[in-house]
Amino acid sequence: MQLKTKLSLVTCALLAASTLMAEDYVSIQYVQYDENEDRASISSPSIEISKDFGVDYNLKLGFTADSVSGASPTWYDTTSGASAYSRGKDIHKDDVTYRNINYEDDRKAFSALFTTRFESRNELKVGINYSTENDYEARELSAEYLYYLGASKNQSLSFGLSYQDNEIDVVCIDNEACDTSSGASGKTMDLNVVSAEIGFTQIINHNSLAKVSLFYINEDGYLSNPYMNVVRSDDPNSSFVDVVAENKPSKRVAYGLTLQYTVALTDKLSSNSSYRFYDDDWDITSHTLSTELYYELGESWILGGGLRFYTQDEAKFYSAGYFGDEEYASSDKRIRPFDAMNYKISAEYKVSSALSINAGFNYYDQEDNYQDDLDNFNATYYNIGLKYNF
Amino acid sequence: MIKSAMILTSLLLFTGCAITDVQPWEKETLAKDTMTVNAGNSLFTKFENHIYFSKEGSKGGGGVAGGGCGCN
Repeated sequence: MQLKTKLSLVTCALLAASTLMAEDYVSIQYVQYDENEDRASISSPSIEISKDFGVDYNLKLGFTADSVSGASPTWYDTTSGASAYSRGKDIHKDDVTYRNINYEDDRKAFSALFTTRFESRNELKVGINYSTENDYEARELSAEYLYYLGASKNQSLSFGLSYQDNEIDVVCIDNEACDTSSGASGKTMDLNVVSAEIGFTQIINHNSLAKVSLFYINEDGYLSNPYMNVVRSDDPNSSFVDVVAENKPSKRVAYGLTLQYTVALTDKLSSNSSYRFYDDDWDITSHTLSTELYYELGESWILGGGLRFYTQDEAKFYSAGYFGDEEYASSDKRIRPFDAMNYKISAEYKVSSALSINAGFNYYDQEDNYQDDLDNFNATYYNIGLKYNF
Repeated sequence: MIKSAMILTSLLLFTGCAITDVQPWEKETLAKDTMTVNAGNSLFTKFENHIYFSKEGSKGGGGVAGGGCGCN
């Protein structure tokens, strides 16, 4: 009995040590993302460093630099020589079209996450995120507390809260950013986002666990796309329409539920499945179902494959066609009704006990019932990277 | 067909689970990277979440910290 206890303690210590050692690493990842017909292309190198300080503290630092180019679809006046985003009134219908407008952007994002483990091994994580783009800046502060229920640590509760402060530089193009008194060429608009999440994790047996989470998101501020237009027409019989800025509500409240189930089906094969329900006061309801399988081939390879299915309803102020005098109006394709499938394969090769390299290929396929240029929203993206434990 | 298979597979995986009291030294399998989304590749997970955010009308459910994105 004493021997068994001692062996158990040694095993625990080894497992704990291996887990903690695995926390010290440098990870580099490069992702290339391309949508069909050159609608969008993103090159994204990123790096993450994780370092333990004793057994109670960990610091993760991350940096990403995205380079984005492509075209975003919207309505515009084809006769305008000033800008493809130009808006105007009493434009002949024949001169109004829905086409892709070219754009380029760079995004840099920095993140830091500090973890403190208490004597009970409960954890507090505090994080900051900062990202900047040509016309956008975001700052985020987050905290998450992990609380174990009982000494066996087979059940835990997690509480998360974050606050995000966003600033959007909106260019004056016949919209709310225009100030005729000052003559300013634009205006900085605010968007504040509060997110909260409560989770419960249950270890079911030695090779499976499940987690259920409830989440809440409150967005308050400028939620429109400053470059997106809609077409308004008071008289359906008229040949003339107005091309104006889209107008989304300045508030959005969402809630949802996530179920996750992870199981080692055999010594070498594991599965990670999840379902997410989402609902908001824009009338968007979505369901997301995903599953990933991982197979350990020999001592060096991990092969992965996954599927993700997503479906959503349309927002109550969405239309692919013309609007009347409704207050809120948007033809943003992201809030239209559609289904999407994502297909994923990946491979990881352990070069040594300290170094591993990985690669993956993904295809995202979006479909709806009435758009005629669906292929524009399909995308392929691949990733390559390495991870060095030190 | 694929959607139906996914739903059926998920239901099968969720069934037949009896909760047992797992001791700390029995958690080696649970600690594997392959028991997490994207096999523990957090950089790729972050990027993928931004893809979904920029193409879909809903978000959330994967933790509260995600960073900002001018994708509206």
